[in-house]
Amino acid sequence: MAEVQEGGFRAFHPSWEDPSCARNLAVWVCGVDDLRLLPYTVVPQLGMNDVRVKIKAVGICGSDVHYVKKLRNSRVAMKEPMVLGHESSGVICEVGASVTHLRVGDRVALEAGIPCNSCVLCKEGRYNLCKNVRFFGSPPTNGSLTQEVVHPASLCYKLPDNLTFEEGAMCEPLSVGVHACRRAKVEPGRRVLILGAGPIGLIVLLVSRAFGATTVHVTDIDQRRLMAAASLGAEGTLRVSSDMNDMENEVMELKQLIGVPIDVTFDCVGITKTMQTALKVTKSGGKVCLVGMGQDNLTLPLTSSAAREVDVLGIFRYCNTYPLCLDLLQSRKVDVRPLITHRYRLTEDDMKEAFQTTAMAGDAIKVMFTI
Amino acid sequence: MKAVGICGSDVHYYKHMRLADFIVKEPMVIGHECAGVVEEIGNEVTHLAVGDNVALEPGVSCAHCSHCKEGRYNLCDEMKFFATPPIHGSLANFVVHPASLCFKLPENVSLEEGAMCEPLSVGVHACRRAGAGPHTKVLVMGSGPIGLVTLMAAKAFGSPRVVVVDVDENRLKMAQELGAHEVVCVSTRIEDVEKEVLEIQQKMAADVDITFDCAGLEKTMRTALKATRSGGEVCLVGMGHVEMKVPLTAAAAREVDILGVFRYRNTYQLCIDMISSGRINVKPLITHRFGFSQEDVVKAFNVSAMGGSAIKVMFNI
Repeated sequence: MAEVQEGGFRAFHPSWEDPSCARNLAVWVCGVDDLRLLPYTVVPQLGMNDVRVKIKAVGICGSDVHYVKKLRNSRVAMKEPMVLGHESSGVICEVGASVTHLRVGDRVALEAGIPCNSCVLCKEGRYNLCKNVRFFGSPPTNGSLTQEVVHPASLCYKLPDNLTFEEGAMCEPLSVGVHACRRAKVEPGRRVLILGAGPIGLIVLLVSRAFGATTVHVTDIDQRRLMAAASLGAEGTLRVSSDMNDMENEVMELKQLIGVPIDVTFDCVGITKTMQTALKVTKSGGKVCLVGMGQDNLTLPLTSSAAREVDVLGIFRYCNTYPLCLDLLQSRKVDVRPLITHRYRLTEDDMKEAFQTTAMAGDAIKVMFTI
Repeated sequence: MKAVGICGSDVHYYKHMRLADFIVKEPMVIGHECAGVVEEIGNEVTHLAVGDNVALEPGVSCAHCSHCKEGRYNLCDEMKFFATPPIHGSLANFVVHPASLCFKLPENVSLEEGAMCEPLSVGVHACRRAGAGPHTKVLVMGSGPIGLVTLMAAKAFGSPRVVVVDVDENRLKMAQELGAHEVVCVSTRIEDVEKEVLEIQQKMAADVDITFDCAGLEKTMRTALKATRSGGEVCLVGMGHVEMKVPLTAAAAREVDILGVFRYRNTYQLCIDMISSGRINVKPLITHRFGFSQEDVVKAFNVSAMGGSAIKVMFNI
């Protein structure tokens, strides 16, 4: 049954033929554009510090789509079929022997990455950078777009009563915004510019406002996305092009539109044009925060911005964000509900349509599975 | 004015009549690394007296813009800096300068050491921005004057291990004499980056927390970004090439931050204190000395431009 394709990709997983897994279906990517709803491992015996979670809501994002199209991202390639998905929440249905802070029936949001907890980076609290992290839906670790997972209890966060499972699942992308705003030190007094009004840009907008930024402006090439940004509280928006030749003009237009020096620019697209824009438009002594991963091997001239002490900060996933995300959602300082634009169930047809919708972007912001 | 050092930027103006967006439109007095003796003081000056030896911080900032008010006066848009056009420099017999930018030298700090506070300030500012300290292992790319002051500043800040790289064996020898724990001789070929990163990591025998790129070339930035640990910092101190392109993968995927450095701020007193206490010894950096004649001036600039064994060329006026 093992078909070995080019590049050593084995198009088979033992779960599919294991009768004990039959009750747990998952969304697998089995090849380019080859999505299948198939059984997935059920861990029989819980570890002392683990919980078993019945998954209720899973959001999907551009990186999931990327695996469907390319079977890899810029750093790592799939060697065998993989379960997708990493933005999830659910209900606890079993707890390990040493687990005290969670009980059966608790509704939880799941933090997607399991770090090693023993390397220097983990011990310093920057566990998002752990070299041995196991992250849902990042090869070789299977994702959470399934009916049941087992996960460390310490990475499951109880949902306040007024939040839905969908909002719990949204903590994952929301965490990226929180981590970015923390690293860039967004606070009252800051003038923020966000390049790109996709799901991440819009989340950074919401978090920037929650963190007290004085103004937040947003750019995008798509007018619909700018309207979404305006409705979510952007002080002003600017439609930009994808033509590099327009960059100088756009930098001037942005400076005029905003009228005061820009302290922080978040590049939530991550391509040459947006980073160049960011480096030029940000004030001396300001920060450019690279959040988007739009282009592999992004290479840019840095001398003139470095000579103005414009710092470049990268963002890789997040750390220590879930409790704050839940606080922001519960208190309605951030409302992510408008971002959920499409909903699907765990069926063959819905699965395919969900990924197509996400891939096409357009008026889709967050696509959510209800399990 | 008694002691004035020459810097790469002075040489650049001499050779190219411009540096980035600063253009020399009419003849300009050169020089900015200086120290001298107070000859006259203004009515309101209380902290200095005639006869005091002072080091001069070159840049006069406006004091009312937001950069100045926030303490980042090096970024002031109205900055008037010795020998940055259109502001005349200080390679002269006399200058007039704000007293607040003149720092009294203690008995045991010479005028030449006072002039050295200027380049040393660049290293000190870079170390501050990057957070160098007893917990940071540091890599310095480039063993020229700026790399060497950064090496010295890093050690003075407590860095337990500093590795210096350069293409020139002689410059690396100087780095070793000044306290580099290890040195690596590297090539100018970009294909060698991977190999050199491994060598550097071996010599450091630990993760690289901060890399100071004091050359500012494509190759040195690529090396810096690969060699620095996740969550670490790369500080771009050198101004090698205006169009130099940097790959941002390390920043994006490993949170290696890229910090810029422009001159310095609030460093002069610290530099004087560190020289006075012996924590830093800048004297070995002064390799060539010249007097103040037409012939000497031309010779001095040519020696400085040639690089090589010339680290700091100093005028004694």
